[in-house]
Amino acid sequence: MAIAISRRAREFIQRKGGVVTVRLAPRHGCCGGMASLAVADAVEPDDPAGYRHLEREGIRVYLAPELVDEGLSVDLEGWGIFRHLYVDGAPLKR
Amino acid sequence: MTTSKDSQAPSVAEGMGRFERYLSLWVALAIVAGVLLGQFAPAVPETLSRFEVAQVSIPVAILIWAMIFPMMAQIDFSAVLGVRRQPKGLVITTTVNWLIKPFTMFAIAWFFLMVVFRPFIPEPLASQYLAGAILLGAAPCTAMVFVWSYLTRGDAAYTLVQVSLNDLIMLFAFAPIVVLLLGISNIQVPWDTVALSVFLYIVIPLAAGYLTRRTLIARHGAEWYDNVFMKKVGPITPIGLIITLVLLFAFQGDVILANPLHIVLIAIPLIIQTVLIFFIAYGWAKAWKVPHNVAAPGAMIGASNFFELAVAAAIALFGLQSGAALATVVGVLVEVPLMLALVRIANKTRHHFPAAAEAAP
Repeated sequence: MAIAISRRAREFIQRKGGVVTVRLAPRHGCCGGMASLAVADAVEPDDPAGYRHLEREGIRVYLAPELVDEGLSVDLEGWGIFRHLYVDGAPLKR
Repeated sequence: MTTSKDSQAPSVAEGMGRFERYLSLWVALAIVAGVLLGQFAPAVPETLSRFEVAQVSIPVAILIWAMIFPMMAQIDFSAVLGVRRQPKGLVITTTVNWLIKPFTMFAIAWFFLMVVFRPFIPEPLASQYLAGAILLGAAPCTAMVFVWSYLTRGDAAYTLVQVSLNDLIMLFAFAPIVVLLLGISNIQVPWDTVALSVFLYIVIPLAAGYLTRRTLIARHGAEWYDNVFMKKVGPITPIGLIITLVLLFAFQGDVILANPLHIVLIAIPLIIQTVLIFFIAYGWAKAWKVPHNVAAPGAMIGASNFFELAVAAAIALFGLQSGAALATVVGVLVEVPLMLALVRIANKTRHHFPAAAEAAP
């Protein structure tokens, strides 16, 4: 269950409470269809039991089961109130 | 139908449900249903056309908002801050979408509709079809590209950034490009009409989508928003699209029955444009050694169109009975089979591109 979290992302998550949820977010096509992309939020998941979890350098990581073996990395981008986490390394999923 | 097995890409059946795989069939059925409605129950479209405020048809406006709002509600504009991550891919897709695509669409559509097909299409009608093609050319895909990206194993993070960036540019570039190209074509559309249609069908749904997203995420969380709210709202777009088409063809019945061949003639330049734009972006990405998981979605976004916006703008600018509206619908008709063919090409040519790790700076 490998997941890399950059130093900046780690600091950001720690400031927000030390928890990160990495999950799949659906995007709907205009002609129908859907694909899901991996996203990270510095919050607890709605249903923690539906996630795998691990401790990584003082951070509690909740990882969607579909993303366990993807070798993801979580990083931070943007500035000010627009700073947000993003996930690299996961292909789109159905 | 599956994509190439050797590319390890998902099959089309995995990536698309039955509805979207057979979209062309549903569009064709919507055309038939609309024409029949217009011919045998003309009171329905006549009654609906009476509900107008400031020359804006309220039933049509509601249908258009139903088509566009769900797409706007899922845009995460903060993703645009990731533009530094794949600069080559974004340079290619932004240049192709905004500096090349609208103009090649205009040139190809003008050549075929006004010159090659001149013996088959009366000039006033050809001008209307050209206007529809211009509207399609100025609206790159905003949502379906996630599905095309999935089918070509595209980079998810890059796809999200390019969609956000294009949506942001579209807000400012759509109207000026449309006015410029319509002006060159001698199709006079008052600026205030264009501005009204942009306000009604881009600004209002975009603002509503943004506020809805912000408010509901703040209240219920992003997970609830994605998995509960968008799950219910997302499928409204294609349903709105099909109902709009039925209504549109209820008004278009006489035109279609008088000129059934026109649908084929309109499709020809649209198909050529789609393939050309795909190969311009894809070839450029190959020349710049962009990894395949960026090159493929980068080429798909320009090849595909934001049909809902084009249909909405055509109806707003020229009316439900216009040739422009018909031309935008022909774009929807050919979209899925054509894009699936391009998905196959992208998957079969994957080995010509560097893998993501090799191309990393």
